[in-house]
Amino acid sequence: MDRFFQYVFDGLSFGAIYALLALGLVVVFRGTGHLNFAQGEMAMFCTFLTWQYNSWGAPLVVAVLLGMLTGFALGAGTEVTLIRAVAKKSEAGVFVVSIALFLGLNSLAAMVWGSLPPEGMASLFPDAPTDFTRIFGAVWRYEYIGILVVALALMGALFALFAKTKFGLAMRAVASNPESARLTGIPTGVVLASSWGIAGAMGALAGTLVAGVNGEVFPGLMFSVFIYAAASATLGGFDSPGGAVIAGLSIGVGEQLAAGYAPGWIGQELRLGVALVIIFVVLLFKPSGLFGSVKVQRV
Amino acid sequence: MSLLTMRDVRAGYGPLEVLHGISLDVEPGEIVVILGANGAGKTTTMRAVSGMIARQGQIAFEGSDISSSSAEKIVRLGIAQVPQGRGTFAELTVEDNLRSGAYVRRDSIDADIDRWYEVFPRLAERRSQRAGSLSGGEQQMLAIARALMSKPKLLLCDEPSLGLAPLITQELFEVLKTLNAEEGLSILLVEQNANLALKVAHRVYLLETGNVVASGTAAEISSDDSIRKAYLGA
Repeated sequence: MDRFFQYVFDGLSFGAIYALLALGLVVVFRGTGHLNFAQGEMAMFCTFLTWQYNSWGAPLVVAVLLGMLTGFALGAGTEVTLIRAVAKKSEAGVFVVSIALFLGLNSLAAMVWGSLPPEGMASLFPDAPTDFTRIFGAVWRYEYIGILVVALALMGALFALFAKTKFGLAMRAVASNPESARLTGIPTGVVLASSWGIAGAMGALAGTLVAGVNGEVFPGLMFSVFIYAAASATLGGFDSPGGAVIAGLSIGVGEQLAAGYAPGWIGQELRLGVALVIIFVVLLFKPSGLFGSVKVQRV
Repeated sequence: MSLLTMRDVRAGYGPLEVLHGISLDVEPGEIVVILGANGAGKTTTMRAVSGMIARQGQIAFEGSDISSSSAEKIVRLGIAQVPQGRGTFAELTVEDNLRSGAYVRRDSIDADIDRWYEVFPRLAERRSQRAGSLSGGEQQMLAIARALMSKPKLLLCDEPSLGLAPLITQELFEVLKTLNAEEGLSILLVEQNANLALKVAHRVYLLETGNVVASGTAAEISSDDSIRKAYLGA
């Protein structure tokens, strides 16, 4: 039983990171209808920048906030300069642009920072071997608790923005009907750029949390995390922010349980396969995801 | 000074020109109706005024040029459009639809929401339902109420009768007429249902393949034999 709780606890922490990135995918998809394949690489790039700010002397917390700001600017800037112009011409073009961004950011990070920053990446939270507490007999590392709390807090703030603010209302209106949103005087351009910006900022935080656990930043940092996030968004439904969070947490827990209990031959190596199987099965049997809306409209 | 002035306005979609230089006016307090067959350019005229498409020529609202203004700015100036097919936010509640209609306002909007609930009691009953679950008539009421939430001086209505039962359509036209009579709301209305439109209109423009081919008071247009034959089916 201790082992079970251990898997669940660890899974929730990793799942919270998947949920952050998945939520970014969903916010962008709801706004502009695009799947941003570069989401993970943008997150990785901002994590390098966070490391850079930190090594230039900014305290880690400040560096993380700066990294998130940079993530917002990178996301919003991408939408304004690249996506908007290309989307007018062709949808396939947006796909190509996001793949190009994926490769470009990856190469750029490798070029600027080499494959490994020499000093490694500090964690935002206490992560010495003795920094843990026991709940239900399972080890809860302070770092994992911190990840869970910070990720859930940011997601909570985002949901409050959606539900309680005028700008959140504008975001929901644009997601529902962009043309009508323009007719009500909502600055749709600002809303769409902000959606990409929010996704960028959440990615920057997700990247920093992953790097903290790994103790290093490297260009491949977000590969597998992005796959899990994409699986989460698919499972939850690409237009459902709540679904992305629930699915992200579930996939995190499922991944740990699978790795822990599955027979040896699945083991560590085939863990990513679990995510791909989830994507495949969901797309096959319930393409709108568990919480996505199958649009209902009477005429 | 006219509320809205259009002079030699050309507009269309990409290389396709739909309006070949139309001119029309809306005076303060008027209901002006644009009649015309499918493809005559009625909706395009609306979209040219509300800034949803590129357009050339002169468009002035209360004397200031809006021919290159953004849709957002035009709403701020006091023009609200009810799009064809209603265009409600299907996933949002009725109340959120109304709130989004007031996006450009900075003052308190609760009193106005209550007011439109009084005018359209069925919206009040469904205030926390998703707009997509409303009937066609209710959605049209919501679309009009949403447009009015921005407190416009000029309301653009694009075929409000489309797909609605005659009784509901009549009810809607009564509301528009009352708003015009009691509050001086100016309305530019596009309709295919000419008989109905002529009952509320002060003045009428006839549109044919992107040109204004006739205009006059509602009485003049109704009594013109050739127009009656072509548009009123009598």
